[in-house]
Amino acid sequence: MCDTCGCHALGKEGGSSGFTVDVHRSLLEANRKQAEGNRLHLERLGATALNLISSPGSGKTTLLEHTADALMPGFSMGVIEGDIETERDAERIRKKGIPAVQLTTGGACHLDAPLVHQGIHRLVEHAGRDNFDFVFIENVGNLVCPSTFDLGEHRRIVLVSVPEGSDKPAKYPATFERADLFLITKTDLLPYFDFSLAEARKEALEVNPDLEIIELSAVSGQGMADWIAWLRNLRN
Amino acid sequence: MHELSLATGLVSTLEGLVREHGASRVIKARVGLGRRSGIVEESFRFGFDALKLESPSLRDALLETIVLDGDDLILMQVEME
Repeated sequence: MCDTCGCHALGKEGGSSGFTVDVHRSLLEANRKQAEGNRLHLERLGATALNLISSPGSGKTTLLEHTADALMPGFSMGVIEGDIETERDAERIRKKGIPAVQLTTGGACHLDAPLVHQGIHRLVEHAGRDNFDFVFIENVGNLVCPSTFDLGEHRRIVLVSVPEGSDKPAKYPATFERADLFLITKTDLLPYFDFSLAEARKEALEVNPDLEIIELSAVSGQGMADWIAWLRNLRN
Repeated sequence: MHELSLATGLVSTLEGLVREHGASRVIKARVGLGRRSGIVEESFRFGFDALKLESPSLRDALLETIVLDGDDLILMQVEME
């Protein structure tokens, strides 16, 4: 009970000229509609879109840099970067010769579908072409909030790096429940951290039995072939 | 933190309903939170309680939440006068 939230007053009803309206309206509906629009838009560009979700520093941008090296000869890609501030990630990706646009949320902890819609238009303009095989959407570094918002992606990927610890799937179940692929990154650091691959796999699959899991290190290259094969398979 | 943007959506939806029904204020709004929505009820409530003070028709509105299956956030019922 407290005065701040008004919970002390809950239950005091009647005696007024009030009336009740059944609404049953989703507050996520506006985002969902725009996400459907984004999906169609991306499909018109020929693109398979991937939403990358993870904590800050789990290696999303580094993975994309190395992915570009492996994919670029045969496939075209574009990147929509989401961050609270700065163009830095987009600049890193552009250095690889990949069209990239930066969305800065100005404080918001997640990308939403209307913002990504702008990103798609800016990407087409920046790239000077309207066809892509893959559009990667790198969400704001945050393992919680982005999971609520459909961006119009075709597949959702969650990343956890070895230094973060293997308990993340159990701690952030909603994010894993809604993902298609779980990437365990920075596996070259396994000798130096107390990270149990078995625990991470087991707990992730308990939350989402359909989740695919790939272990990789973008720096050593271990597991990268599996990741690239997974991507190529999306285009078959 | 995304709860604040969702609470903003609730505020504008409620303001629209007040206009639509020619009411003067919202007494109570009942919202269903999906178990898998990833939305923290306390944060959502905190956001709503901060935002409602800016809106004359919502200033005294109470927020009642119930837990639903699924991953949605649904405005279920609104009591107005």
